[in-house]
Amino acid sequence: MPLWFIRGLRRGVVTTRYPARPDDSAARLPTPPAFRPGQLTREVADRLVAVCPGPALSRRDDTLVFDVGACTGCGRCAEAAPDAVASSGEFELATTSRSVLIKEIPIRGDEP
Amino acid sequence: MTTQAAAIRGTVTTRVPAADLEKVTADLAKAPGTRLADMFASDGGITVLRLVWARESGYLVTETEIEGGQYPALSDIAPAAFVEECEIYEQFGIRPATGKPLNRLMLPPHAGPDFPRLGHAPAQPPQEVHAPHTVGGQAFEFPFGPVRQVGVESLYYGLVTSGEEVVDVYLFTWHKHRGVEWRLRGTTPRQAMFFAERAEGLSAVAVGWAFAAAAEAALGVAPPPAADRTRAVALELERLYNHAAAMAALCQATGLTVGQSAAEIALERLLRVNAAAFGHRYLFGVIEPGGTARAPDVAVLRRELPAAYGELRRAADALLRTNSFVDRLEACGILTAEHARRLGLVGPVARATGLTVDARRDGPYAAHPVTVVTADGGDVFARFQVMLGEAAESVRLIGEFLDAGTAAERTALPAKGNGEPGSGSGLGWAESSRGEVLAWVALDENGRITRARLRPGSVRNWRGFDDACRSQNVFTDIPIIEASFWLTAAGLAR
Amino acid sequence: MNPSLDEAEAARRLRDTIAAQFGRSLHIRTLDTGSCAVCEQEIRLLSAPHYDLHRLGFFFTPAPRHADLLLVTGPMVRAFEVAARKTYEAMPGPKVVVATGACALGGVYPKDPFVHGDVGQVLPVDVWIPGCPPSPLALLHGLGVAVGRLAEKTPGLTFIADGGQG
Repeated sequence: MPLWFIRGLRRGVVTTRYPARPDDSAARLPTPPAFRPGQLTREVADRLVAVCPGPALSRRDDTLVFDVGACTGCGRCAEAAPDAVASSGEFELATTSRSVLIKEIPIRGDEP
Repeated sequence: MTTQAAAIRGTVTTRVPAADLEKVTADLAKAPGTRLADMFASDGGITVLRLVWARESGYLVTETEIEGGQYPALSDIAPAAFVEECEIYEQFGIRPATGKPLNRLMLPPHAGPDFPRLGHAPAQPPQEVHAPHTVGGQAFEFPFGPVRQVGVESLYYGLVTSGEEVVDVYLFTWHKHRGVEWRLRGTTPRQAMFFAERAEGLSAVAVGWAFAAAAEAALGVAPPPAADRTRAVALELERLYNHAAAMAALCQATGLTVGQSAAEIALERLLRVNAAAFGHRYLFGVIEPGGTARAPDVAVLRRELPAAYGELRRAADALLRTNSFVDRLEACGILTAEHARRLGLVGPVARATGLTVDARRDGPYAAHPVTVVTADGGDVFARFQVMLGEAAESVRLIGEFLDAGTAAERTALPAKGNGEPGSGSGLGWAESSRGEVLAWVALDENGRITRARLRPGSVRNWRGFDDACRSQNVFTDIPIIEASFWLTAAGLAR
Repeated sequence: MNPSLDEAEAARRLRDTIAAQFGRSLHIRTLDTGSCAVCEQEIRLLSAPHYDLHRLGFFFTPAPRHADLLLVTGPMVRAFEVAARKTYEAMPGPKVVVATGACALGGVYPKDPFVHGDVGQVLPVDVWIPGCPPSPLALLHGLGVAVGRLAEKTPGLTFIADGGQG
């Protein structure tokens, strides 16, 4: 037991200060996408919807409907249209309202 | 004790008429160096029964058309097949000819004739497992779970004990049966990959690799060597974090909180290495059919893995010098090599009895042979030693794979998109931290899955759990034995 | 009296009560309704040295009778529904249900004969935590939101890049 005690003291504190202070390790976590409306044509939007493995993406007229709650951060949408999709960098996503997780992204239409 | 594993050459598939199945199975079961690795069925009009045998020279798949709903009692010849006979009966309605009772295992109790199955409902419902069923005298049976202690998966045990001694343990996972194989039908390999990874998430790389390899075998394509090396790096990282997690669970089960904390520090550091190298703490999304979707950040991996492994090594060394810990592990949960062979067990559970069964013999491992770590005794301590030896070997292999070439390129199947061309079927495999994973895929002419079989290591090894827990063990040993197996309920239930 | 004002006031008072009772000492029971096992591993790490939820006054308890918060993973496999309801009903009020992970939020498995597809089909969910899996940091944020100690960020995020937030 003294062995463990000494090891522990020498090891020091590894505990995060989160939520009081930000934690650097968050920078490497996968996060949901953020979309660039300027690059979102209907065709691109339909491609994103097709490639999403779950119900996180759907299209309603000229709106890309993004359900953040359903998103697994798999990255297939970013791979399919890298100009239109960026990483949001957001991991603090918890909410007390399910509907708040449904986001609407405008589609720019097909003119350049 | 270590041995070099020989390279294997490929899969052979052979049709066996139903009349010859019993003899062929008996010959294979007796052949030296041959192990029954899986048995499953598929139904495209006629029910086809497939047995997968692992041999020195590669895998052999026998295919037999079953008519009249019956086939020879294969588990009388190969006890390793009993669980599969029960599952096949539930899903396809075909059964061994002997008339012996088959248990309901996979599907929930309310699964009537209309419940979705991979084939047809059986004519007679399977038997409900009751206990005590092997013991006379005073024994107390109590059900435990499926909601168990905090932070562990749901799992239902039937525990039969006479005071402290474990008389029997049987377990069910039908409350976690998500119907993964059923849901994969009609999807493309790329779409299915998302679910295959999540069949047993703690083996996402291994199950994903086995599945991708099965699809590639069906299509006759092979990933480039660089992609294979990337897959291997991810697989060894997966093995490392799982072994660290098992070590933490062993400490928790033995009540050694400082050891648990030390192991958890190592585990957290390894998960951060995964996130830094591959963008996901649990390595989801690395493998895709045809190659890999991501390449590792080699510089970060080289820089950070040694320190993370050092944490694991130091914690392990301290544990090995803590007698109160080692005493709980020695002579606990003993499985003999005979048990392991008879039941077709895989992974560290089998290797701790002295068997040199390891699926890492081909692909990228052909040029980078694995030193297979085994131990004697088959107890919890032997399994712990095997895991520690394998962790060291994994770090060495990762270094070799990273040195062997440039970072892997992303590749895709020649015709990417929904409906890759070409039909066919194929077998894939990978060695997860829990043991050999097998996958078998059949594709139609549109490249869509007609049958996907996923067989994580947990499916093989849970059937050894009751033997390991029985007799000289008290039931407070059960969490220790469970930690030393380090399986999942999700992998068995699927 | 305007009924919706009454309801809003009642909801605010209930939230304040919960924050006062749970804000500094909260006991958590976990519930796996069919996960792939990875969410459980992240939840276990909450008590590991890197995260140490005890410093925030959060504790795990195996007994639903002693629990204030139910942390639920998995897509609610139908065969598990009875066990899920029994666990929830065994918890005395006030209690909070937190659905964690994409499976529990309906993002992985569609509703079909095997699964409900999301936890909200069976249990009254109060807090949703996205992720696959949600990391321990995301779980800590979600628990903080559940007890009213941390603010939600998602209402203000647009997930639009190039000029928008997030």
